[in-house]
Amino acid sequence: MIDPEKILSSSDLLVKIETVCHRRFSAENDRDECYVYVIDSLKADNLKRLRAFKGKSSLNTYLYALINSLVIDFRRKQYGRRRIPAGVAKLGKWAETVYRFVCWQRFTFDDAYDFLRIDGLYTGSYIEFIKETEPIRKAPCRKNPAFQSIDEAHESSLKNIDDESSNPLEFLIQKLDRERRIKALKVIRETTAGLSEDDQLLIRLVYGSDQSVPAVAKVIGLAAPTAGKRLKNLMTIYREKLLAEGIREP
Amino acid sequence: MGKWMNKAISPSVVPESEDHILIEDLARLAEGAVDAADRQHLIGHLNRCQRCYQILQQTLTDVSAETTLQPGSAPWWRTGTFYALAASILLVLLIGGPLAIKHWNQRPPGILAVLDLDQGLKDILLEDDALRWEKKERVNRLLTALQQRGLAVKDLSLVLLSKPYYQKKSLFGPKEVLHIRIDNKVAYLEVKEMEN
Repeated sequence: MIDPEKILSSSDLLVKIETVCHRRFSAENDRDECYVYVIDSLKADNLKRLRAFKGKSSLNTYLYALINSLVIDFRRKQYGRRRIPAGVAKLGKWAETVYRFVCWQRFTFDDAYDFLRIDGLYTGSYIEFIKETEPIRKAPCRKNPAFQSIDEAHESSLKNIDDESSNPLEFLIQKLDRERRIKALKVIRETTAGLSEDDQLLIRLVYGSDQSVPAVAKVIGLAAPTAGKRLKNLMTIYREKLLAEGIREP
Repeated sequence: MGKWMNKAISPSVVPESEDHILIEDLARLAEGAVDAADRQHLIGHLNRCQRCYQILQQTLTDVSAETTLQPGSAPWWRTGTFYALAASILLVLLIGGPLAIKHWNQRPPGILAVLDLDQGLKDILLEDDALRWEKKERVNRLLTALQQRGLAVKDLSLVLLSKPYYQKKSLFGPKEVLHIRIDNKVAYLEVKEMEN
């Protein structure tokens, strides 16, 4: 059995932690705090998290999964420490959600409006939204100094797709106007929810997270070509559902 | 990753499960090392648990990035793919060689090929809707494009297209391929749609 003490002191583990924290956070300070948090958590309770490794997977994958779980804990603790300004909170849940999207996750107000509409948290028009978010624009926001500008660019890892073959659904959605985009996203969400468990995960990982088809095929327990074929069939289902709702490429 | 799809189809956040998947089971799943019954249980959970889903997808990203960055564990000429390819070529030569020699001795060679209709080929097809291409410049552009795509064609004097080609506008339209037959410096082209 592998000695947890040796794993903890190995340069390989330290490089992994550094790499993962670097990938997940853009601010230097956050990266440093993340690194320290992961190391401390691994040391906690007499290295119980490293001792939990039973050798059923490779150590390499186990360490990445473990570090990622701790980074998620760290991020949640970090968000947990933050408070939504009282002036925003009193506007209601929708305003808190807007604040989270724009201030903490660095999306634009436009994105926040669309996300709220998809989730059914806001039903008003875009003009009403702009008016009602005035107090949010004036609220303090440590993480985003350019907070008051409606055109501010977010630095999220989520980006525009400019290659149809990499993600045809995202490519289509980008081309739609706001109302049809919101409608299309609702159709896609409902269609996904109606798929088998395997197909849901296949779609989520390939088109929601940009994982490669061979990597996801392994997770689902399929050969890569079979997963590719299944994806094509699923695209046909999405296309038909979108067409049935009158959504087509502009 | 695309923000819209990520937002639309992420697993639900509320209510999130308290009973998370063991880290080692997530690692096993990422490696495809679980049996069918375990897999069904784990996948069912992943579709409903944002946290476990995030750990899995980030682990897949990190493992894949590490594999990409690492120099190959074995030289290319020692990989299974190389041996498979070499064996295939040998078999083709053994079986097809005598037949091919006989065939070549009987008549001048023709070329039959099917190519993915990529943007470069589309641009040439869309220049105008003539079915008979005699303009040397256009014929040469096609010749160069075919050579760049690996076709051993040396010269073309005429190109005949079966029907005018128009760009498909549907996002999810079927894949198109170009069927090519070349005989006596004449290229016969036909665009066909592949079934999904």
